[in-house]
Amino acid sequence: MAEKSVYEHLKSEGVSRREFLKACGVLVGAMGMNKLPPVADSNLPPHLARGAKVIYQVAEALENKPRVPVIWLEFQDCAGCSEALTRSQSPTLVDLVLKQISIEYHETLTAAAGHQTEANKQAIMEQYRGQYLLVVEGSIPLGADGAYCTVGGRSAEDILREAADGAAAIIATGNCAAFGGLPMANPNPTDAKGVMDILTDKTVVNIPGCPAIPEATTGTIAHFLVFGTLPELDDLNRPKTFYGVTVHDRCLRRPFYEAGKFAKSFDDEGAKKGWCLYKLGCKGPTTYNACASIKWDGGTSFPIQSGHPCLGCSEPGFWDGGGFYQGQSAPLQRPAIGAVGAATAVGVVVGAGMAAANKAQKKG
Amino acid sequence: MDWNAFLAFTRGPLFYASLLIFIAGMVYRLVQVAMLGWDKDQSVARGSKAGGVVKSFLKGILILPFIPWIKGAFQKRPIMYIAGGLFHLGLFTVIFLGTPHMLVWKSLLGFGWPTLALPFVDWLAVAAIIGMLVLIVYRRTDAVLRLLSGPAEYLNWLFVFLPMISGYIMTHHLFFRYEVAYSLHMLSVDWMLIWIPFSRISHFMFYFFSRTIRGVEWGKRAVTP
Repeated sequence: MAEKSVYEHLKSEGVSRREFLKACGVLVGAMGMNKLPPVADSNLPPHLARGAKVIYQVAEALENKPRVPVIWLEFQDCAGCSEALTRSQSPTLVDLVLKQISIEYHETLTAAAGHQTEANKQAIMEQYRGQYLLVVEGSIPLGADGAYCTVGGRSAEDILREAADGAAAIIATGNCAAFGGLPMANPNPTDAKGVMDILTDKTVVNIPGCPAIPEATTGTIAHFLVFGTLPELDDLNRPKTFYGVTVHDRCLRRPFYEAGKFAKSFDDEGAKKGWCLYKLGCKGPTTYNACASIKWDGGTSFPIQSGHPCLGCSEPGFWDGGGFYQGQSAPLQRPAIGAVGAATAVGVVVGAGMAAANKAQKKG
Repeated sequence: MDWNAFLAFTRGPLFYASLLIFIAGMVYRLVQVAMLGWDKDQSVARGSKAGGVVKSFLKGILILPFIPWIKGAFQKRPIMYIAGGLFHLGLFTVIFLGTPHMLVWKSLLGFGWPTLALPFVDWLAVAAIIGMLVLIVYRRTDAVLRLLSGPAEYLNWLFVFLPMISGYIMTHHLFFRYEVAYSLHMLSVDWMLIWIPFSRISHFMFYFFSRTIRGVEWGKRAVTP
């Protein structure tokens, strides 16, 4: 199984050379690669090397590389990220990564169930120790000794640590796995944590989103499969290819923001004309994600295009970042009447005290 | 550094604390001033006090600013008058009629109001920023003003200028990433809120009290112009 290269495996599955190259092209696009490796490496004079294409580099890698097994763990999740992947409209890429290449363990997609699946996972982890790719979906609860999420009688933390131990690379897909997501929202009853907060000694690639953009997940997996390395990451461990610019920067409603034309409700004239959703609580300006460029469902649309403000789902703590429909400029908390009253009382007492002291001093 | 987390801090707990300090501080100043008391005026009023107040505000806010050339302050220091006027006009437009700021008021007060288009607010913001620059240059170059200015004057200028310039940078996505500019804007605003009650910027409130009291005295003596 693992002795075959990716290309050989695909060939045996009936994929033609033409289809294979096409898939390589999709991968190149998905990984956002447009640069050649340094010219010196190509052993060609510069004027010839300039014409070479990344796609052949990818093709060559896939022709020679053995398949990399992927173990996909799900903890406190909704399987939405997996759903997004399987329903993604870029079948070449997703087929390539999900079906053809190497998912060895995935609770939602595996046909087998129970101890049989678990035994298979253990076998794969032993056989490919240090080589397999670990993808995590969902947050990990630490409360009540991990009793909030168990698989086969073992806690999520236990399973994660075991799998991470022998993994060549770890990818956290979705906001829950990356930053804790919904389970970690205030008051965080299960004491949920993201993967990188638990595996503090390892590099975890975060593909946040709710769900994560399928192309971002597969693109990152593909990068690892092709090159055996992780893509360049930002300070929150997100691949810069997909999380390099804000949704606002690439938003199709951006010109309306610049012109000061805002929709004031979901049903007014501005909303119908496609004006900026900033007043309706859009978090696009502070949200780093590829929604506005890759979009969803094969580039059909994305939330803002469909008339809904960005929730900021690729940022840490987005559930607690003020109301979804509250303008982003508004303060996160509205002062309680009691607090304002207390502040006023303090002012009155100190002011009166100072005035009395001044008067006493004057008389004396 | 996670600037989004820092932004959440400056928009959340820090803003909250600053606002409470601002409220406590302004109440403290007000109570202290109010408790200075008034001397009892035994003379019989010769005119309407309420009328005097109305006229005082009309004169101070609605009439004189638009015919400034009759004022001594304008005749003696036109640059200061115009720059100062533009600064205040721009400031109020941005704070009350700029969309993002209206949303702040809306979240605090529970109701909002229509706002002006961004380009219009933007030009007035530029006018206010230029006004402030002119004022600081004027303060440094005018011999009398320079003698009158201490650290407090320059700090007041700085603590108002920082929110203005960071807000402009943020609106136009200049130089910094948005959340960085936003954090800096909020940080400067939070500090300004704490600073205001204990500085002369508190004139934003006391101006109205002094106008009122002056109006009362004018009205009583029937000397309103």
